[in-house]
Amino acid sequence: MSRTDAPAGWFSWLRGDNVGARLLRLTLIMLAIMLVLLPLADLSITTRDPWKELWRMLQGMILPDITATESPLHALLLTIAFALWGVMLGIVLGFPLALIFMRSRLVRTLCAFVRAIHEIFWALLFLQVFGLSAITALAAIALPYAATFAKVYAEILAQIDRGPSQTLSPRTDRLSRFFYTELPLAWQRLSGYTRYRFECALRASVLLGFVGLPTLGYYLESAFRQGRYHEGGALLWAFYLLIALLPWWAHRRLLVPWLVGTAFLLGPWPSVNPTLLWQFVSHDIWPQPLLEGDFAALPQWFGRLPDLLPAIGNTLLLGLMSTVGSLLVCLLAWPLVSRHFGNRTTRTMGRGALIVMRSTPELLLAFILLLLTGPSLLPAWIALSLHNGALIAFLAARHADEVTPGLPGIRGINLYSHELLPRIYPGILALLFYRAEVIMRETALLGMLGVVTLGFQIDSSFEYLMFDQAVALLMVTAVINMAVDVLSRRLRPDALPERRHQPRPAPVGDSV
Amino acid sequence: MLETATAEPDVSGVIAEFDHACLGHDDHVVFPDLTLHISQGDRIALLGRSGVGKSTLLDALRTRLGDQGAWCPQANALVPTLSAYHNIYMGRLAHFSRWQNLTNLLRPNRACWQEISGLADMLGLDGLLRRQVDQLSGGQQQRVAIARALYQKRPVFIGDEPVASVDPRQGARLLELINTRHQTCVVALHQRELALAHFDRIIGLDEGRIIIDAPASELTSHDLDVLYVTD
Repeated sequence: MSRTDAPAGWFSWLRGDNVGARLLRLTLIMLAIMLVLLPLADLSITTRDPWKELWRMLQGMILPDITATESPLHALLLTIAFALWGVMLGIVLGFPLALIFMRSRLVRTLCAFVRAIHEIFWALLFLQVFGLSAITALAAIALPYAATFAKVYAEILAQIDRGPSQTLSPRTDRLSRFFYTELPLAWQRLSGYTRYRFECALRASVLLGFVGLPTLGYYLESAFRQGRYHEGGALLWAFYLLIALLPWWAHRRLLVPWLVGTAFLLGPWPSVNPTLLWQFVSHDIWPQPLLEGDFAALPQWFGRLPDLLPAIGNTLLLGLMSTVGSLLVCLLAWPLVSRHFGNRTTRTMGRGALIVMRSTPELLLAFILLLLTGPSLLPAWIALSLHNGALIAFLAARHADEVTPGLPGIRGINLYSHELLPRIYPGILALLFYRAEVIMRETALLGMLGVVTLGFQIDSSFEYLMFDQAVALLMVTAVINMAVDVLSRRLRPDALPERRHQPRPAPVGDSV
Repeated sequence: MLETATAEPDVSGVIAEFDHACLGHDDHVVFPDLTLHISQGDRIALLGRSGVGKSTLLDALRTRLGDQGAWCPQANALVPTLSAYHNIYMGRLAHFSRWQNLTNLLRPNRACWQEISGLADMLGLDGLLRRQVDQLSGGQQQRVAIARALYQKRPVFIGDEPVASVDPRQGARLLELINTRHQTCVVALHQRELALAHFDRIIGLDEGRIIIDAPASELTSHDLDVLYVTD
């Protein structure tokens, strides 16, 4: 260093043009915006004695009563059946779409739209036509999952190594090319992602209980709502076991037996009245003035919509708060499960805690917290931050475990701050911005618990059978989610490893 | 077979030629002004430091030759999740019907299996055909890549360091095998002894230019030192 170099000042790091400074600025700006807006959020605790209630819940968890639920096994198997067949149908619909995804803007937009609406809202919509039936459950999972599969499969297929394909003769037919190079090269990532989505589908399937389908969630909700915590505890344990034992019971070899076995459980099958279905599709969900061609009355119709601005504001605010919250939870939690810190015992305990946070469905977590605090943004904020933070922490820890510290003997906070975090932070932010889309969808969803976000208005519109209003609000939600998705994609650091395309020999200039 | 005009030997036997060509990739020019003629029967070794443009030249040559060139790329470019047999079979995917290709994935075609086992025996891959490629060693993978190129049965062999990860003695044997099965070959190498012993013509590259182009018989290992001087 030359003598004239002044030591770096406090804020000099922020001014740099390198990736680190850019990410630090981004983080601090997000944090600052959140802190400025935080006073606008309703974070009140309205229940009288939350600690006593929490204590009773813990008692329920410690002393679960497995005999209280009438047919727990049926609920458990039905949860699996909906998840499994929902994912299956999602693949059947999504895979062909993945093949044309990159080429068709229409498909991309359609998928983004379908994805932007949460499974539960799809369920609420299908519920009006198909009732509490297997069709509602399967469609609610399969539709958004197909859109997700289309997008992610297409991205995976676009990232495969082009080398093997280039060794083939240019006259090789498309089908052989696909089955000999693209599919085998992508297979591991495709099946890994599908497996991960199956775990998500199990959570979604539990959540379907909240709209009345008899999965685990149905019994969980009623047990917790009525204060039967011993029963609720037993059901919750059953769900954790289901997730923890996934590698054993959901082995690839058992796929066909499971599919065949659960096929008989699917039900009930509704008798669909075509007239009513047509009435719903062609009439009920459209604004009345639009159907009558009375455009002058449209503003009046819009005026009757519930007050949208606070709902939208709350949705966005909660989304931002939860994104920042997830980041903080992740930064605190990832060392708990990383090989660089602690010993075997602390890591095992850390892993246990994170698995519980990660596998509890967000809605359920928020629902339990809500019983403690009363309806405000607070339980939703905590639930979303814990769930998503734990999820990112796992991936961050796995990323950190691959790092070998450059300096031997560096430990503790020094290791965290100097060796590991600088290397994995871009990855953490990239994951966080990927997750922001999911957080936004879940934010709307939490409205179903009485938190005044868009989901709250959608839920009550369905309740009052105002389908035109509900569908309009769903559209608004979808548009907001798509906008957030675009924004987070802009902000996302390109830290995820993407294989560069093999440079192709191309004539430069025109002399060839 | 589809025959491209440039790959057809003309009267003078030239199968590929670059006349003051400008080669590169993306926006990066590697060879600003390249003139090179390759005739039928040439056995060419391409030498030069890494990053000097050997791969660029080979890629351009491969594009020129189209279906006349059997391509053995650097780093093998195998499909790790398929068996060695299927990777070798891929050399002739375009030759068979798509239905045969699909059924062959599930149940190897008998005739192809026999032919490929013969090839595998020659390359010391006997008994490994059923093995998934990512379970093979680096040297074995390289031999699978060579087998795939040989199985293409095309007149010109184009190899980008095809013997980089095998020992010199085995490297010599593999180059012999490649030579007996192809009239013409263009191979990038980094072992100059192998180049002088097994090839007729040596082309040395440096900084986007050809600085040596001479019969191997007129060169000694010492003459090639100029290619590896770092300055």
